Amino acid sequence: MSKQLLTKVGMVVLLFVVVPAVLMAFDRGYFYQIATIAAVFVLLAASLHLVTGVAGLLHLGHAAFYGIGAYVAALLGSELEIGFTLGLPAAGLAAAFVAFLVALPTMRLISIYFAVATLAIGQMLYLIFLNWVSVTKGPNGVLLFSGIDFFGFDIESEIGIYYVVTAIMALSVVVLYRLTNSYYGNALRSLREDDQCAAAMGINVTVLKMQAFVISAFFAGLAGALWAYTTGYISPNDFNFSQSILVLAMVVVGGLGSLPGAVIGALLLILLPEVLRDVGDTRNIFVGLVMFGAILFLPKGLFGEVSALRFARRILGSGWSGSADNREVGWE
Amino acid sequence: MTALLELDGLTRHFGGLTAVDEVTTHVGQGELVGLIGPNGAGKTTLFNLISGFTRPSSGAVRFKGEEITGLPPHQVAHRGMSRTFQNLRVFPNMTVFDNISVGALGALGVGAFQSVIGGRKRSHEISERSWEMLERVGLNEQANDLAANLSYGKRKYLEIARALAMEPDLLILDEPAAGMNHSETAELSQFITELNSEGLTIMLVEHDMSLVMGICERVVVLASGRKIADDTPVEVRQNQAVLDAYLGGDDE
Amino acid sequence: MLDPYYLQQLTIGLSLGMIYALMAIGFTLIFGVLNVVNFAHGEIYTIGAFAGLLMIATFGPPLLAVLLVVMAVGALAGFGLERLAFKPFRRFSDEASMKSRAMREATLMSSLAMSIVARESLELIFGSQFQSVDLSYLINKQIQLGPVTIVNGDLIIFAVALVMFLGLQWLLKYSTIGLSIRAVSNNPLGARYCGINTDRTIILTFVIGSVMGALAGILVGLYYGAIYPSMGFTPGIKAFVAMVMGGLSSIPGAVISAMILGITESMATSVVSSVWADMVAYAFLLITLVFFPQGLFGARRERV
Repeated sequence: MSKQLLTKVGMVVLLFVVVPAVLMAFDRGYFYQIATIAAVFVLLAASLHLVTGVAGLLHLGHAAFYGIGAYVAALLGSELEIGFTLGLPAAGLAAAFVAFLVALPTMRLISIYFAVATLAIGQMLYLIFLNWVSVTKGPNGVLLFSGIDFFGFDIESEIGIYYVVTAIMALSVVVLYRLTNSYYGNALRSLREDDQCAAAMGINVTVLKMQAFVISAFFAGLAGALWAYTTGYISPNDFNFSQSILVLAMVVVGGLGSLPGAVIGALLLILLPEVLRDVGDTRNIFVGLVMFGAILFLPKGLFGEVSALRFARRILGSGWSGSADNREVGWE
Repeated sequence: MTALLELDGLTRHFGGLTAVDEVTTHVGQGELVGLIGPNGAGKTTLFNLISGFTRPSSGAVRFKGEEITGLPPHQVAHRGMSRTFQNLRVFPNMTVFDNISVGALGALGVGAFQSVIGGRKRSHEISERSWEMLERVGLNEQANDLAANLSYGKRKYLEIARALAMEPDLLILDEPAAGMNHSETAELSQFITELNSEGLTIMLVEHDMSLVMGICERVVVLASGRKIADDTPVEVRQNQAVLDAYLGGDDE
Repeated sequence: MLDPYYLQQLTIGLSLGMIYALMAIGFTLIFGVLNVVNFAHGEIYTIGAFAGLLMIATFGPPLLAVLLVVMAVGALAGFGLERLAFKPFRRFSDEASMKSRAMREATLMSSLAMSIVARESLELIFGSQFQSVDLSYLINKQIQLGPVTIVNGDLIIFAVALVMFLGLQWLLKYSTIGLSIRAVSNNPLGARYCGINTDRTIILTFVIGSVMGALAGILVGLYYGAIYPSMGFTPGIKAFVAMVMGGLSSIPGAVISAMILGITESMATSVVSSVWADMVAYAFLLITLVFFPQGLFGARRERV
């Protein structure tokens, strides 16, 4: 019990005390930027984890839903002066709504057909970002000057922005964690394993896939809003196919089906290229190589699902099985 | 005896082939019915028609007096029918416990929202039921192992336990003894009889004659998609049509 | 006034369609033998274009020699791609695991990773902008045919594509290589039992497909004078769309679909702004996947 509590407290301390302390000690704008970008991508990877890692749907257009969130937040903020407090949920809901619309016809597709359909959807949305100039400003992108207004508080300091972004990211990851490390998560996993068999167990395969897809898009939308507010400028290329692949690589490298894996993968693919910055602009080659290496040598990823599940059970303990009684067999 | 499952002129064509041809039969509450037939007789197709995986070309399926023809598999399952598959389909990359929990949660239902906030009562029910089934088939020691790592025989029991975790009114077993040796088959038939004696209605397809003849109260025989016999094992054994089908019809 | 314009668009559409068809054949052949999607096929196209560019810049040989070198480079690239991104995942040789879903998804991602590495390496070496091509090599000399103006590129693309299509048909129908490719497509295990070297056949399939892809790349590069590292992405997707529309493993189906796609696209630009032309392909793809899961020509499709 104390161990669970310790891990939870440790995570909170790390995110909200240690990292900010380090950032303040160095006090360079660049470091704050990296930290918030990492937080945004952790959230993105965690949201893709739900649909690709757990439900097993290979999604090649995730960045487009992230883009919808970013555009909704940025356009609401810059054109209509609707700030962060409303813009954030609006971004998530808009992404989820579009996901719902495109999911209606495509959810029955399986395996690579689904992957290709999501690729096409992602590209169509990208073309809209790029070419619907009257709304999205086209290739010029959208500038967003306003800071984060958080229920009336104007947050403009870099450390303040870090806190807001990280808090939203942490809260979302906790929600995603509970979704996947639960019986609901087991239902999603059964789709990945054998959807016909899951149907025989009374699971409505299409509806469940759709839920995973829509929930995932919601969180991608939130990540988009965070991105728009932290960088202050978005353009279509932030949401193109290679961004989708970057997020996919994070999930694959960390280990498909493992949430800690997705988080580690995101940190790795954001932070390592920064360390390697001196080598030149090799970031994307690096992404490709790491992804290839992971598929070939670590088919279960850095932090594979099974070990992740053990980890989850240790942390959640009785929370998972829902019964605190003496069913200790095997839940060590 | 009230009929739990009624099949009425059930027919399915695949292109020019009639896989199941006007099959009419019923399964009474509490019965243990065997379905046999030579290769290609349409047994698995018949099971798929009953459980909603294949739509019938014509005819009707009634379950508990309600017409379920053409319903999708998950809705058929919700009405209390649970099945296993011919070629052993467990969820390989999930633990034994999680496999079984899918059966329980499929029947009880689980929502995204509940899993985030609250829902303790429901998850309590699911875990209770899953543990019960694990103990029932003696897999509680391996609850945390990956299903893929279980032996073949244990995976068979896992698949049955998963189906049982739905607490069905009718259990459909598709070749449960396939790939099992003699003593394993004997153990399995004991288990099936036990389930039946507790009041569970069971329908099973099997190649292993000794299993079917040994435990079923009634045997339905299919040949070339048609029902050619529907009687007690003793009678079926002496039925001329059945003997012909088995002796002369193995080439189908 | 109307007619010549549309005829001209039709010519452009036909050329575009031929290019897509050349690429779609590669996709289709590979999908046929392995049931996998080769996501790096677009990069083969780019590599072909760059190989031609380098040839032109360093030696300046006649066009035919450029095309032959590009074919050779394409063959080599296809071979390397197969060894790197596909072979390592073929650990089991029975049909079930050779064409399993896990295989399919692992190789989809490995070829995707390879394509990133190839594209980004090219970008690192050459930069992401358009490369300058020796103007005398561009195949855009205008030819007046009555009221219609076409360019010599249209003729060259048509000729090359025709040679390739006929050559492929001959290869598949009458040669042992073609026979083994068809055998492996139908039943890899059976082919193996008949003494066919499946591994070699798979390599050959990649080589043939990549030769065509590389040729398409250099032809487009010289047609538009636009050679750049990310040039392969969009044609790759279009060719994939053609494959899906054609029913996945039917070569004639893919070729006809590629033509339809090319013509529709060039006609679409006369109705809407050309920036939206790519939407046509994506829309075709989604419509095919959702409403014609067997392809437009009703080929068989297994549940995957």
